[in-house]
Amino acid sequence: MNKKEDSVSMDRLAQLWSSRAKGLIAEMNLQIEEATYSGVTIRMTFNPNFCVDEEETLLHGGALTALLDSAFGLANLMAIGDVQTMATLDLRVEYLRPAQTRADVLVSAECYRQTRHIAFCSGKVWHDGAAADEIARGSATFALTRGKSGLLEMMEKMGAQ
Amino acid sequence: MNREDIQMRCDRVPFFRFLDFIVSNLIDEGIETIMPFSESHIGNPVLNYVHGGIVASFLEATAMLSVMENWEGNPPKPINLTVDYLRPSKSEQLNARAVILRKGRRMASVEAVAWQDDEQKLVAKGLFHFLVV
Repeated sequence: MNKKEDSVSMDRLAQLWSSRAKGLIAEMNLQIEEATYSGVTIRMTFNPNFCVDEEETLLHGGALTALLDSAFGLANLMAIGDVQTMATLDLRVEYLRPAQTRADVLVSAECYRQTRHIAFCSGKVWHDGAAADEIARGSATFALTRGKSGLLEMMEKMGAQ
Repeated sequence: MNREDIQMRCDRVPFFRFLDFIVSNLIDEGIETIMPFSESHIGNPVLNYVHGGIVASFLEATAMLSVMENWEGNPPKPINLTVDYLRPSKSEQLNARAVILRKGRRMASVEAVAWQDDEQKLVAKGLFHFLVV
């Protein structure tokens, strides 16, 4: 595959991923800032529904956990060409600081090692404009199945419905 | 605190309202909760599985409530979590139970499990650390 085709299919993957009409991905209003085979960056706009306090300023850690898990999913999709299914085996999250501004949240994630059956991911979360002050870090392991008709086709079929 | 008090505290938390679970039971050193299936929790739209992040959040919320139930004063601050995903979470109700493993003066370790129709077949199991100072 040449570089141009490669980037076209990457864009297509990213597009399909974010156009999934239902579920948590839609609820979180995620926007892909960057998505390549070596890593992804995603923006989550501030959502008062994900807060833990009545004043709606402090994001609940669970929202960050869900954000990391989603980012790992996209990182795998981009990094593993023939991935057919992926199941999270385990997930670890460290809460480094309170997520206490109404700024957007950014997450970067990479699949830093893949074998035939397993993928290893890690990621970081920070507030827009404060990249040095990470609010969370996470890592996860995924069980993979690979095959000729990958996730892309499955998602395209869904999009056609 | 009784079950109704804890439920009232939950209902004031926007993220807990988004998860939309109820406190079903207070047990010795712990708590049980039930979360009905919701379209907005879907992570795999092909198979309609619940998002792993939602399962982890539900376990964390249950774990946090088990700590709150046993402490007066400042709300517990989550430090870290690990979750093992044992089975996919289907488009059905999720049940959870959190049990405090250790209550220290500054820290609490809580174990939480989630299941669907069969309590012997866990969907996920997690370990959660909270700062309680």
